[in-house]
Amino acid sequence: MAAENEKWGIAHIFASFNNTIITVTDLSGAETVTKSSGGMVVKQARNESSPYAAMQMATNVAHNARDKGIVGVHVKVRAPGRGKQRSPGPGAQAAIRALARAGMRIGRIEDVTPVPHDGIRTKGGKRGRRV
Amino acid sequence: MVNTMTTIQEVKVTASRIAVIIGKGGATKGLIEEKTGTELAIDSAEGTVTVEGEDALSVLRTIEIIKAINRGFSPERALLLLEDEDMLLEIIDLSGVCTTTKQMERIRGRIIGKGGRARAQIEDMTGAAISVHGKTIALIGMPEQLKVARAAVDMLLEGLPHETVFSFLDRKKKEAKTDILEYYY
Repeated sequence: MAAENEKWGIAHIFASFNNTIITVTDLSGAETVTKSSGGMVVKQARNESSPYAAMQMATNVAHNARDKGIVGVHVKVRAPGRGKQRSPGPGAQAAIRALARAGMRIGRIEDVTPVPHDGIRTKGGKRGRRV
Repeated sequence: MVNTMTTIQEVKVTASRIAVIIGKGGATKGLIEEKTGTELAIDSAEGTVTVEGEDALSVLRTIEIIKAINRGFSPERALLLLEDEDMLLEIIDLSGVCTTTKQMERIRGRIIGKGGRARAQIEDMTGAAISVHGKTIALIGMPEQLKVARAAVDMLLEGLPHETVFSFLDRKKKEAKTDILEYYY
């Protein structure tokens, strides 16, 4: 569909309640092009997961990726999953939007949160989180 | 571009909320489709909604709206998500907090309050919209609003008295004003 020299990548976005991590790789996922995390853009730990931090990270990542010749990304969003919460944190949406805003073409968006086929026990003990 | 990329995503919806998504004669479905520029395909037998659209971002947004409606929000309130790009939907699952239906009912009652007063108070003080439905509490709002609202709900879940929570909200409201100033300067 596209010209030969149009390189696409994959943006892996891991969004938890405490942090957001963006890693851009090539299509195979083996070669990292660029990456960024919350701590690289904010000074307070509690802001690492904020949408503003995610936006900044996404613009930085988009800039770096473009320097290396990547014009568009497919997005894989991931929440902590397994025993923890399965819906992505606040940074995910903001990051995708900022990527698009920064001129990256967005291909497919996929949720790759690891969901157990009944694996480990969720934290909280036998009697649940007591209230 | 030769190949226009369409994004397709699917969400599961409870049977009882399917009717709300469709609306009278498909009115709500039409409204969502029009506002987001996506297409909805609803399978009421399976309980799935398939969202299809050119713009991946608006598909993502539409999914959020449908999830919000699924979690008990009225379509009007769910469409609040479109008003600002930073609006988020947050879902708190109660099934990890309590085990029996009786406990669940008690906790839901605490969050709603007498005649919905506690819920209204939290909505008022934070600006977030709250929906208590089944085993979940869903919140819609801006990130900072959500942070405070979530903390308030968590306090109620932990069993703190309502008064404590309200005074906490009061304090947060005052802090929010100074925080905004700090953020920009």
